[in-house]
Amino acid sequence: MADNDPNEERKAEVDPFALTSSVNDSILIRDLPVGAIVHLRNGATAEVTGNPRDGGWLFVTYTKFPDDPSRVGTEDMAYCIDVVGAI
Amino acid sequence: MVSLLNSRGSNSLRGLVDLDAGLVSREIYVNEDIYNQELEQVFARAWLFIGHESQVPKVGDFVVSRMGEEEVILVRDRKGELHVFLNTCRHRGMKVCRYDDGNTLVFTCPFHGWSYDTDGRLVGVPYFEQAWKDNLDKSQWGLPEVAKMCNYYGSIWATWDKGAPEFEDYLGAYAPGVRQCFQSSDGEDNGVEVFNPANKWNIPCNWKFPGFSFDGDRAHGAMTHRSINVAAIGPQGEANGGSRSGIRTPFPQTPYEMSIPELGHGGHNSIYDQPGIAEYADTWFTEPGVDDYYRETAKKKAEKYKDTYVVGETALIWPNVNIQPHRILIWHPAGVGMTESWRQYPVDRNAPQFVKDAQRHYMMRYGGPCGLTESDDMENWNYASAASFGHIAQRYPYNFQMGVGNAFQLDTAPGMTLNHQVAEENQRSRLRRWLEFMEAGSWEDIFPVNPTPNTKR
Repeated sequence: MADNDPNEERKAEVDPFALTSSVNDSILIRDLPVGAIVHLRNGATAEVTGNPRDGGWLFVTYTKFPDDPSRVGTEDMAYCIDVVGAI
Repeated sequence: MVSLLNSRGSNSLRGLVDLDAGLVSREIYVNEDIYNQELEQVFARAWLFIGHESQVPKVGDFVVSRMGEEEVILVRDRKGELHVFLNTCRHRGMKVCRYDDGNTLVFTCPFHGWSYDTDGRLVGVPYFEQAWKDNLDKSQWGLPEVAKMCNYYGSIWATWDKGAPEFEDYLGAYAPGVRQCFQSSDGEDNGVEVFNPANKWNIPCNWKFPGFSFDGDRAHGAMTHRSINVAAIGPQGEANGGSRSGIRTPFPQTPYEMSIPELGHGGHNSIYDQPGIAEYADTWFTEPGVDDYYRETAKKKAEKYKDTYVVGETALIWPNVNIQPHRILIWHPAGVGMTESWRQYPVDRNAPQFVKDAQRHYMMRYGGPCGLTESDDMENWNYASAASFGHIAQRYPYNFQMGVGNAFQLDTAPGMTLNHQVAEENQRSRLRRWLEFMEAGSWEDIFPVNPTPNTKR
């Protein structure tokens, strides 16, 4: 999905898990607690392992990564606009 | 960068600073080109005081400091290691940290979102997969880290120049004195803590006014600070004449101006005629209970030092920091006619809180931004600086002739140049070192082939 997809924000509005699907509401990841599960734009699911509370980034460990299962269990940083939902 | 200023005949730096004659042109305090040369030749090269490890006790703790005009971050990474980084994003240069101190997992640039781990690694780049297509070697774009850092008994120092000597060699014969300044009052190494935040304020003068005169200008005290004892700012209140320095037991010693001309450090220090320390004298009459604490720690220190000749307690460590047992004074350059003055107040880490507060408050009213000695000094430095910008004024050099030709050495103070306790020897030592730094192409040109022995006097 292109970053400037005009449908992106509309999709987010109807996505019950869409906490952070546009740059305008990235503040919502600021308070996600460690242990929260996030869905990422690339289809991966990850657990929050650290939150610097800067509104931009999360430390995550992948729990599902359909495109590259070898990355399950690895650590990464997730940027706000790549976080499309949280549980 | 070596400026042409060192090769312009009579207008060379040597032409402006004649230490044999004791004459120094006002131009070195007001000239913009000279100032810019200092930023490169002095502050990008020398070891500089950054802070104290007690300011960042926990993983992720950070405090912003300065090296020259530039902000740096002292931070403790996830492994507990200390680092000093330039506070600037490698992408477009925005500050990655805009707080004076705090605790963090990462430093995220508020401009485009590049994010750096506390060990300086670039760990987050927005749109890395989508836009960068993974085509960025993050390992090459971390925060700029100082070339060398030293944790010296809890005090943190750093230099941008990988050619700099090791820090203890940089200190030379002043190493034991600096070590002692970070001992607690019972004589234990690394026994102090430093309160966050530092006092910070700007004063409209060139950094060399305070930096080169502090601990090298005893002549000013009788005139400049004449009124302070009347104000009785010392811990004893109005007792004992209200001396600002508190009550002290006499101890056989001879005070001197001491300096290491080839290193630039110097202080008002004594050579003691016997080992040990002076017996403690009660002085905290305005702060009940404080004397009880210091009396006990003094006993422990006396036992520890009973066979040791004490070394000097304070010193200006070249180029811009004065280290004392309860006060650290730093003068950061902030423009040719501006100095950012910082104060930090070490206190015994294991002291009761009321002792820490009493000690710090005393030092603040002594030499904090509103402290009385500081107010006196600032008035002098600021007006002298302003009066030196004038074109006519610059025809008239400053007089640094007090004590010229009277310096000597003693076997009891190896490596030191001594002069009468009221002299301008230390200021001439700093100016001599300043010339060497300003003209040098590298550390190889300015570090002594036979450095001053790093031994206790």
